[in-house]
Amino acid sequence: MMNKIARVISPLLIAFLVLGSLPAVASVPATSASDLVTTQDALSASQVAADRERINDLLAREDVQQQLLLQGVQPEEVKARVAALSDQEVSQMADQLDEMPAGASVIGALFAVFVILLVTDILGLTNVYPFTR
Amino acid sequence: MLNARAAGVLLCALILMVLAGCAGTPHISKPEQLGIARQTNLDDVPFFGQRDYQCGPAALAMVLNDSGVNADVDALIPQLFLPNRQGSVQPEMLATTRRQGRIPFVLDNDIESLIETLDAGHPVVVMQNLSLPIAPLWHYAVAIGYDLDDDTMRLHTGFTPSQDMALSTFDATWARSDRWAMVALPPGEIPPGISAKGALTAISDADRVQGAEALLKSWEALVQRWPGLAMGWFGLGNARYSSGDRAGAADAFRFATLHDPTLAAAWLNLGLTLHGLDQAQEARKALEQAADLPGKWQETAQDKLDTLFSEETP
Repeated sequence: MMNKIARVISPLLIAFLVLGSLPAVASVPATSASDLVTTQDALSASQVAADRERINDLLAREDVQQQLLLQGVQPEEVKARVAALSDQEVSQMADQLDEMPAGASVIGALFAVFVILLVTDILGLTNVYPFTR
Repeated sequence: MLNARAAGVLLCALILMVLAGCAGTPHISKPEQLGIARQTNLDDVPFFGQRDYQCGPAALAMVLNDSGVNADVDALIPQLFLPNRQGSVQPEMLATTRRQGRIPFVLDNDIESLIETLDAGHPVVVMQNLSLPIAPLWHYAVAIGYDLDDDTMRLHTGFTPSQDMALSTFDATWARSDRWAMVALPPGEIPPGISAKGALTAISDADRVQGAEALLKSWEALVQRWPGLAMGWFGLGNARYSSGDRAGAADAFRFATLHDPTLAAAWLNLGLTLHGLDQAQEARKALEQAADLPGKWQETAQDKLDTLFSEETP
């Protein structure tokens, strides 16, 4: 349910936010002797022009901000959290946050696998149940 | 009937074990070859017990405090916890470290890198899947030591400080995250268990968030450890330039072009820096080199040549 709403709302929100921030992208100064190539731009393996790259990255960042909101992150935290990610991490999260492992350590295993995990615990393949140690 | 069911369960268990691979003790070269001690214990790494699901913030708090950042678990939770997932993802572990003024290095994914880094005195955050891939139980713990005589790994994990785990079990649970491991270090330090490429990425990513000036010491440490790494010199050039050391920046960019003459961005930055230092002739030569190299900087270099040297006759 939440996901469906998200699928509908996020493209709209992304579009608005991008439109809002485009002037900032467009106004990147074009010539001055001091605008050196940044280390990050130089490292990026892609051969697309730096401006194009920046817009793609911006889109991905908006996308991740929306996803974090949907994950229940406080709105005032979202921006700072996304700002601290690298471009590569942003695109990774934009593409596959749902499948990413989230470290949590909950004893949430279903009873069906209880027996199997008990056996594997004793064999030292897993470490789910503290009492097997 | 009952026999059939028992046999079925047993079969499932056997298949799973085959799928999960055998839990053998991982191969580690002789400590003498690696130049490390047979055992290391960093028991003075502060321990923070996790709350319900918050092993991510707890693990991070331990390594941050060890590196001198006064961060507690409650302050870290809003920076990296995903309430609806009841957990924390790896990119945000790195991002939060950057926000705390430390550089997150993801180690090479093998046990020797982990052990070498522990031997150097750095506690390491590791991600484990304590269960099997079909019902994953993802967990962050902090490795604080090892013993190669007893074959154990020592962890601050969950609610337990300094727990010894059989090296084979540790490696089986750790292998499921592709042996993901990270350290959080202050600027200027680089862990032993990392490749040049890994260190370069880590420093460059922190540089984007914290500013090149803050990372100056790290860039210096990077070229000291890998003097032939052209992109290291390039990053150092940018860091020196941001902190106002233009002549030093030009030197570093020049080293970058010496180690990799095809690095167009370095020629471009060298040209622009020299132009700022009023060394027009040298600047022009460098920009021409950049404009000759095909790639995404060719056009920019040509533009700069045209605008900066339009009035002069060749």
